[in-house]
Amino acid sequence: MNDLADTAPDTIPQEAKLVLDRIDQDSKRFKVNMVIAFAVLLICMFAGLVFIGLDFKFMFNWLGFIMTGIGYTLLVSFLAITLACILSILGALGRLSSNPIANSLATGYVSLVRGTPLLVQVYMWYLALPQVGMALEEMGIQGVQRLFTLPAIPAGVLALGVCYGAYMTETVRAGIQSIKIGQTEAAKSLGMTRRQTLQRVIFPQALRVIIPPVSNEFIAMIKDSSLVSLMGVWELSYRAIKIGRRYFQSLEMLIMVALIYWVMCIILQSVQERIENHMARGDRRVS
Amino acid sequence: MNDKRPIIRINNLHKVFGRDLHVLRGINLEVKTGEVVAILGPSGSGKSTLLRCINFLEEPTAGNIEVDGVVISAGERGKVRDAHILQVRKKVGMCFQSFNLFPHMTAIENIIEGPVTVLGQSRKESIPYAEELLEWVGLTDKRDEHPSRLSGGQQQRVAIARSLAMKPKVMLFDEPTSALDPELVGEVVDVMERLADEGMTIIAVTHEMHFAGDVASRVIIMDDGNWIEEGPPEEMFTNPKHSRSRQFLAHILK
Repeated sequence: MNDLADTAPDTIPQEAKLVLDRIDQDSKRFKVNMVIAFAVLLICMFAGLVFIGLDFKFMFNWLGFIMTGIGYTLLVSFLAITLACILSILGALGRLSSNPIANSLATGYVSLVRGTPLLVQVYMWYLALPQVGMALEEMGIQGVQRLFTLPAIPAGVLALGVCYGAYMTETVRAGIQSIKIGQTEAAKSLGMTRRQTLQRVIFPQALRVIIPPVSNEFIAMIKDSSLVSLMGVWELSYRAIKIGRRYFQSLEMLIMVALIYWVMCIILQSVQERIENHMARGDRRVS
Repeated sequence: MNDKRPIIRINNLHKVFGRDLHVLRGINLEVKTGEVVAILGPSGSGKSTLLRCINFLEEPTAGNIEVDGVVISAGERGKVRDAHILQVRKKVGMCFQSFNLFPHMTAIENIIEGPVTVLGQSRKESIPYAEELLEWVGLTDKRDEHPSRLSGGQQQRVAIARSLAMKPKVMLFDEPTSALDPELVGEVVDVMERLADEGMTIIAVTHEMHFAGDVASRVIIMDDGNWIEEGPPEEMFTNPKHSRSRQFLAHILK
């Protein structure tokens, strides 16, 4: 196969080398220009803030107080993401199931949750559920009312987890269905059961497809976790809004809290890139 | 050859897609241990469907199939039948036109996947035989490559090794060389030929003339869901009896 290379010494003509050099230079210049553009953009933003007379000292003084809210934000997000992941896998299996009960449950779940505002759902868990408990208690079931009266954080976790679980169900389902039928057939022809086929062949490949959209959901959820402030949880945005109102310096507080969310999302994004690179493991997309 | 018992017996097999696409119209076929059968026919004649019915990748609509003593009928249902199907699939290896290697696994991982997941062997005990197979198909140096870094011919050879790792009694080939560049067909046919020489029972849907003509012990011609005729390759290619076979063979022997 290497006959050609053995007989004729490989010489790339000078003019071709020049073209290659230019391509290299162009890509380098693009990278440098991107960095410069970003830097200019940031400086402009900063200058704009200075120009409108932003009180940086005020921001710095309250930074510590606002940051203590990050714990709640991370706690709620982390628990809700875990719940959403579990629900989305169950939901996707249900949506693909030939069992009518599982299928209709999953389909109904996705339809209902995607079809109603998250805000309404949050209040549903927090304010409306106790009423259900009360009704059940009156019917003679002891202790349900206490069980159904959720503190703010569990209510927030449930609301976010159940809601994002529904969106992610569709992502996971699409990921599973994107794997070519030939993969299932190859697994079957080896004698694998349906379960083994899913575990060994379909899920590992689907995971790679769904990581970008699922990361999207995670990023959205970090920000939607601010909805628990509706129930009086002292998380990031609640603190910022409170302080901003009290001193009539909402601009400073909101800009600060926005930046904190942004940094968190940038971190999450870099994690996503790392996972994607790891999963790519040297294989090309086509096969 | 005649004294050997049939390992595959297909009885009056029908397959209907949808409600009225009658793809197989009552196929009967017996294959004895060690036989190498090539199924030929124009595209859409039902050859692939027939092959895929043997390991139940395609659910037959009527008739029954016996593989190595296990009889499964169309239309039955239930756990016992599902178990029978798994049993049949363990005995029957299959290679596909599009290889269908698992892209997230290396060559060696692809080959041990069946023994580990289906037969419950440990990775350690399955690797020596997998390496032996890899050497047998001439790809020892590709042991730890992912499929995307292999040529089509190499992928198909790994796929053959993957099937053989299950120690099947029958190998099915569904147009194994149709997706390959012409210069890569030889290496795959060569492996199939060596497999036949070692006494493997093979049923292949293929238009590769060297395989059908020189390796196969029997050639079957199908058309429009019907079994048209069969015979030893030398007879079939020189003197087909049926006009439809003549038409088809004239086409591909040109």
